[in-house]
Amino acid sequence: MKRFITTIIVISIAGLVLVACIKRDVPEKVSVKFKTPDLEEIIYPADEKNVTIDGVDYLQSQAPCGKFGGELVISTIGEGPKTFNPCNTKDATSSTMAGMMYDGLVTTNPRTGRVMPLLAKSVEISGNDYIVNLRQGVKWTDGTLITADDVMYTYKEIVFKGYGNPSAMDAMKVDGQLPDLVKLDNYTVKFTTSKPFAPFLRQLSYPIVPKHYFKPYSDKGESVFNAFLTPDTNPKEIVSGGAFKLKEYVAAQRVVFERNPDYYKINLKNEKLPYLNKLVYLIVGDSNNEILKFEAKEIDALALRGSNVARYKLKEAASDYIIYNLGPDTGTLFLVINLNSRRDKNCKPYVEPKKQCWFLNRDFRAAIDWAIDRESMVRNIASGVAEPLFTAESLNSIYLNKYIKGHPCDLDVAQKSLEKAGFVLKNGILYDSCGNRVEFDLYTNAGNLEREALGVMVKQDLENLGMKVNFKPVEFNSLVNKLTNTHDWDMAIMGLTGSPLEPHDGKNVWTSSGSLHMFNQRPAGYAIDDRFDWEKELDKIFSEGALKLTYEERKPLYDRYQTIIYNQKPIIYLYSPIRITAVRKKVKNVFPTSLSGLLYNLDEIYIQ
Amino acid sequence: MDFFKYITKRILQVIPLLIIVSLISFFIIRLSPVDPLAELRLNPSISQETLDKEIKRLNLDKPIYIQYISWAKSFIKGDLGYTSAGEKVAVKLKERIPNTLLLTAIVIFMTWLVGIPLGILSAIKKETAVDRMLTVISSVGMAIPSFFFAILLLLFAVKTGWFPAGGLTSYNFNEFGFWGKFIDISKHLVLPVVVLFTISLSGLQRQMRANMLEVMDSDYIKFARAKGISEWKVIFKHALRNAINPMITLLGFEFAGLLSGAALTEYVFQYPGLGRLILEAVMKSDINLVMASLMMGTIMLILGNLLADILLMIADPRIRGAR
Repeated sequence: MKRFITTIIVISIAGLVLVACIKRDVPEKVSVKFKTPDLEEIIYPADEKNVTIDGVDYLQSQAPCGKFGGELVISTIGEGPKTFNPCNTKDATSSTMAGMMYDGLVTTNPRTGRVMPLLAKSVEISGNDYIVNLRQGVKWTDGTLITADDVMYTYKEIVFKGYGNPSAMDAMKVDGQLPDLVKLDNYTVKFTTSKPFAPFLRQLSYPIVPKHYFKPYSDKGESVFNAFLTPDTNPKEIVSGGAFKLKEYVAAQRVVFERNPDYYKINLKNEKLPYLNKLVYLIVGDSNNEILKFEAKEIDALALRGSNVARYKLKEAASDYIIYNLGPDTGTLFLVINLNSRRDKNCKPYVEPKKQCWFLNRDFRAAIDWAIDRESMVRNIASGVAEPLFTAESLNSIYLNKYIKGHPCDLDVAQKSLEKAGFVLKNGILYDSCGNRVEFDLYTNAGNLEREALGVMVKQDLENLGMKVNFKPVEFNSLVNKLTNTHDWDMAIMGLTGSPLEPHDGKNVWTSSGSLHMFNQRPAGYAIDDRFDWEKELDKIFSEGALKLTYEERKPLYDRYQTIIYNQKPIIYLYSPIRITAVRKKVKNVFPTSLSGLLYNLDEIYIQ
Repeated sequence: MDFFKYITKRILQVIPLLIIVSLISFFIIRLSPVDPLAELRLNPSISQETLDKEIKRLNLDKPIYIQYISWAKSFIKGDLGYTSAGEKVAVKLKERIPNTLLLTAIVIFMTWLVGIPLGILSAIKKETAVDRMLTVISSVGMAIPSFFFAILLLLFAVKTGWFPAGGLTSYNFNEFGFWGKFIDISKHLVLPVVVLFTISLSGLQRQMRANMLEVMDSDYIKFARAKGISEWKVIFKHALRNAINPMITLLGFEFAGLLSGAALTEYVFQYPGLGRLILEAVMKSDINLVMASLMMGTIMLILGNLLADILLMIADPRIRGAR
């Protein structure tokens, strides 16, 4: 009897505890439609100006003057920087960190996306010549002047030789040819490209490094150079020129920068920037830990994701942070259809012939596009923190075709389109004109919860049309192998990160010989011309677009390419995530933009 | 002299073992479908030449057995090679090993300091209230999954603000004086140590209790009691020395776990130890780093066993005699 009573008591206590927990843990079902006009309310300062004082060419920030001192603590997800060598960065964290220490000749205007001078005082363009005038009297942290020799060294002995990260060399090549570079005087250099090439100017944002510090290592060959400036380098030895210099690196914990007292940027009172004494990046392993650190007030800014946005927005009024909506991201999520009609080495078609008939039919693809319910994807998968997407350029791209408005989900239109293509719906099952049941595989990479959820929704949407979709999440590497090598897939859900500034970066995806031309991948060195008419037009647009130099000339071309993709639908775009960030109110001079994010102007930011 | 012969023999036995372990792990990693360059392949702005160059740099263009031989050659020379990002593996490991050792050494020291006496206590007081209470506590300790417990404690730290949310040092650590530093590290260590301590304490305590009970039941203890020796002497002089033998073997295993035992807890607490480093390496199929850590684990295990054997020989005259 006693034992019985004890058991009852224990069970009821456990029950009570559980109930208490459950009540707390069930998340509030708030799906906010996040439509804050935050960015429009911000009054941005004017663009920076060149000011010469005592023979030194300063760059004057037009942001309101702030208070010197203080420290800003932010975070970086992952295992921290792999190197501080700005020429050898291969991951985002390393390039952010190295970018703090080394400036390029030019940079991107955070609002307009146009190129503007940074370490260069000005860039004059005439024909294929780019004459770069450097700032006079600007110094490295060891007091040596930054001159044309450093620029010559950086390009000639690092970039053009393919040292460090060789993609910089790829990007500088115009038709496989590197530009000419000559030194005109101590503060002037001239680049000459073999023909007009629009994306070239932006490549001048490559970080310039001090010759006297880097040369002893680059002279010893590429492997020594690549192992130079690893994170365990003694910070006192490092010679840099950016707004901040390295103070301390503690593996897997933090990177601490301190202000460069001799930086060339000044405020409106002609005082040398940056304001911050210290800039700390905490290295956190995953986004959950980042949230905890923000809640524990250990960090000052946080990128919010999905379901967290609603929670933080509700608490914002009573908190010490402000939430900014930075607008759509450069990331795109899409459904890609395999239009490949070629055969492999054993003469076996990559895609079953009956499926080829469906996939190559534009009306079939259009039916899929109309049947997909992007609105509910945004609502259910992205918790409202995304925008439906219909264009190949991401929504924050300066080349976005604003005339493509998209369309709502409409099953009637989809069904009509299928009828037109000769498909027959019998008892809710879709057959093609030869009587084959419409059934195909849909792949995505397993482990990516967002894409898996998208796969399930696409499957449901298409099953409304009577199609049978076998949804198969596979390991990321096997998916990449299917897409780029074996080509034995039907449809896939993928994502790519584009550049909001330079549509030419997408040439590997859109040109018919590109290495990521997933929807109709040709083997390397494929000689037969079996391009669709619209593929030919895309090829033409991408080769012409790079040769036109002004934005106004290029815009119509890239508008046209987006229209082609929208009409032909080899890739059906789903949505773009919206970036929402929270930053503490004590951080001032924050002017977030959709192109550059929240804290791009660390040299102007101060702490109140 | 026999003693040294025995140790040399044991060390020589290690060599084939290392070869087998390295072979198996190398081939499993390389034959798994993880492609270290998959992300690069999907980057629209990377050219084919760049990809080829990377493949060459990481030796992926050669057959697996040649990759293995070149790895083994440099391993024998003591060169652990470079990570896929171009950092020295030895440097990366050296950054993290002290942190992991600090955590696991504290935990092992504490669990043994507390676990053994508690095990003895509950064996002596078998079937009393004390024993039952200890049984309940250790069952709870064994039942809670370590990562779950770690997350609960982390939430606790954030809500109360009493402890930092993970890590090992505060960002302004270098500005503290000696005691400031000491307190800062201690504050960061409390929660991970609590998690690991609770979990390994239970096992140790139960093990010790079982050993002790077995010995207490044996004839020679009854005989010792019958001889009229004080209970205190019976327990510590006769029972304990016999009951501790299996524990010494266990200590050998704990030694092996010094570098790898806390990976899960380290990950949850964002502790800058080996766990996070190796997890990332496995995900990215960073072969040199993974192989180095596996080899390190194997060597630690072998060393631990050797250590246990030597300790056993010292503690137990029967084993010494048998050899």
